[in-house]
Amino acid sequence: MKRGIFDSAKIDEINEKTAEWEKNRYGGRRQLKNKYKTLSGFDVKPLYTPGDVVDFDYLQDLGYPGEGPFTRGVHPTMYRGRTWTHRQLAGFGPPEETNKRYKFLLQQGATGINGVFDYPTLRGYDSDDKDVYADVGRGGVAIDTVEDMRILFDGIPIDEVSVSLVTCQPICNISIQSMYFANAGDRGIPLTSLAGTSQNDFLLETAITVAPGVLPPRASFKVSCDAIEFCTRHAPRWNPISFAGYNYREAGCTAPQEVAFVIAHAVACSEEMLRRGLPVDSFAGRLSFFLSAHNDFFEEIAKYRAARRVYYNIMRQRFKAEDPRSLMFRFHVQTAGVALTAQQPLNNIARSAYHALAAVLGGAQSVHVDAYDEALCTPTELSSVTALRTQQILQNETGVINTIDPLGGSYYLESLTDRMEAEVLKILDEIEGKGGLVSSVESGWIHAEISDAAYKYQCDIESGEMPIVGVNCFQIEDEVLPIELFSSPETLKVQKEKLRRIREKRDPRKVQKSLDAVARCCERNENLMELIVGEVKNLITEGEISRTLKRVYGVWEPPLF
Amino acid sequence: MEKQRIRVLMVRLGMDAHWRGSMVVARALRDAGMEVIYGGNQMPANIVRTALQEGVDVIGLSSLSGNHMILAPEVVNLLKKEKAGDIKVVLGGTVPPGDVEKLKKAGIAEVFGPGSSLKTIISRIESLKAVKAA
Repeated sequence: MKRGIFDSAKIDEINEKTAEWEKNRYGGRRQLKNKYKTLSGFDVKPLYTPGDVVDFDYLQDLGYPGEGPFTRGVHPTMYRGRTWTHRQLAGFGPPEETNKRYKFLLQQGATGINGVFDYPTLRGYDSDDKDVYADVGRGGVAIDTVEDMRILFDGIPIDEVSVSLVTCQPICNISIQSMYFANAGDRGIPLTSLAGTSQNDFLLETAITVAPGVLPPRASFKVSCDAIEFCTRHAPRWNPISFAGYNYREAGCTAPQEVAFVIAHAVACSEEMLRRGLPVDSFAGRLSFFLSAHNDFFEEIAKYRAARRVYYNIMRQRFKAEDPRSLMFRFHVQTAGVALTAQQPLNNIARSAYHALAAVLGGAQSVHVDAYDEALCTPTELSSVTALRTQQILQNETGVINTIDPLGGSYYLESLTDRMEAEVLKILDEIEGKGGLVSSVESGWIHAEISDAAYKYQCDIESGEMPIVGVNCFQIEDEVLPIELFSSPETLKVQKEKLRRIREKRDPRKVQKSLDAVARCCERNENLMELIVGEVKNLITEGEISRTLKRVYGVWEPPLF
Repeated sequence: MEKQRIRVLMVRLGMDAHWRGSMVVARALRDAGMEVIYGGNQMPANIVRTALQEGVDVIGLSSLSGNHMILAPEVVNLLKKEKAGDIKVVLGGTVPPGDVEKLKKAGIAEVFGPGSSLKTIISRIESLKAVKAA
């Protein structure tokens, strides 16, 4: 039973005084805008008072850090006990080059690795495929076989550093994560000691960042769940999925959609794991989330807090989870790339710092700050260090880590957190009514929702309603770019040559046997990761595995336009 | 007489996976009265084939992956080979300012970098068609 902490007679008095203030002091004066709204479209009042949080029940709505509903944070000590992980995204060119960047970032004080893969790898193509010559080594590192994986992590203590593999799409993850595990095995590191995360999000394959020839939603979802099941059984410290709300947001959706879609996704995975016979507390503690930090400072903080509360209630009530870890919405944040501008790029340092501040005030477990040149190119060494320093300044100089959830209790923030929660629950109901998340992707509903929101966002910039400094206001005519851009190292030749040597030296009979086994595994609806972790030693390539999957499952054309 | 509608083929280049930009522009062009065919991801040879089949006036290429310096000029060259050089090719995406001139020299009619306004994109495409008609 919810019991507000404010005296109702006092609330009446406050409401009366507030109305008086609005009429006599605030009203009738000049206001710069007719309407004030959050980025996601919630109305914002000029002033918030206890009258806006009349049912505010401290113990039920907020409670304490490390205790349900975790609104104030998932750990009892939060940043006083352990600061968030400074996990800067890195990856480009051949694995030899990215290995150097990883080592450089670790030397500079990064506390985790966040490895991003190039376009062909993310989509399940080999570097020597006929359609990928223009994309090899771009946007991330190129990985074709387990040998590349060995080079990528050579000399990096993967039994000590936690490693995030941004294997966005399940078709990529099933190979790349298997290669990562196989390489750890070769190094004598048991799977049980590996800490890390893979992205493995079927929405990224079918709705958010689509590519030529993707797996159908249900197959992609199945492949992602194979990795969750595998890790639950064999790699209990690994987060086998990171629901990529960040990417949904980058594609255009709003803050409440971002949270609703990731939670709907977690619900879908939980149901599938239960169906496979795993008890909820065996896997739920390793479901992890990835969110954006966008421009509207308070709305973003409210978003993180609301997400924790909604998730706690769902996992407890719907799935009857009991282990506190199963009830925690743990998340990584990346500052919004879509908010960066190519114009006056150094302004992005300020933007990303505000974004990161919101993430930390919202209780993020790890953060990536975007580099100032990301609207133009892959970050240079200078821009990536500046981004890392932004985190270090936030942690060491500003004092935001001194107390937990410092904005908790703000009338505005609590009211916005409630509003966000209500909107998220509404969208979750809608998805439920459509038969769940996988069906909502199959029907194209998710695509339409995101596309509509993206179009509206652009129209708001266009009309000037949404000011973007340097783009639709405070522009510089004929700006001379004040920064040096990154140029990718030669990758295509290097990877093609490696693949040629590998195809020459490997045993073709073993390769064929491995790929036949993969096809059979798909047909029999068995767990693919159980098989592939062992088969990659025969030097089968990512592209060969993907093509096998596509042959059995078919390909799908996302209903985009 | 009814004004002839501009036909545009909108595609993402190669492996690039970001659809937000191409989709928003496609919707804006449609709302501006153009006929838009959305082709998804394609390589240059397919792009040209689709453009010829559909009889488009303009091809809109979208790329945020950095592959534009290789693939965009290939589209222009293949069009010339097919004697369809009158189909105009425009490009949008994360194109560093230093690439713009090179792309124009390679025959790309317009380049729209990050932050380009929809209004500008629409009006430039309209004027391209006007040039073509004249």
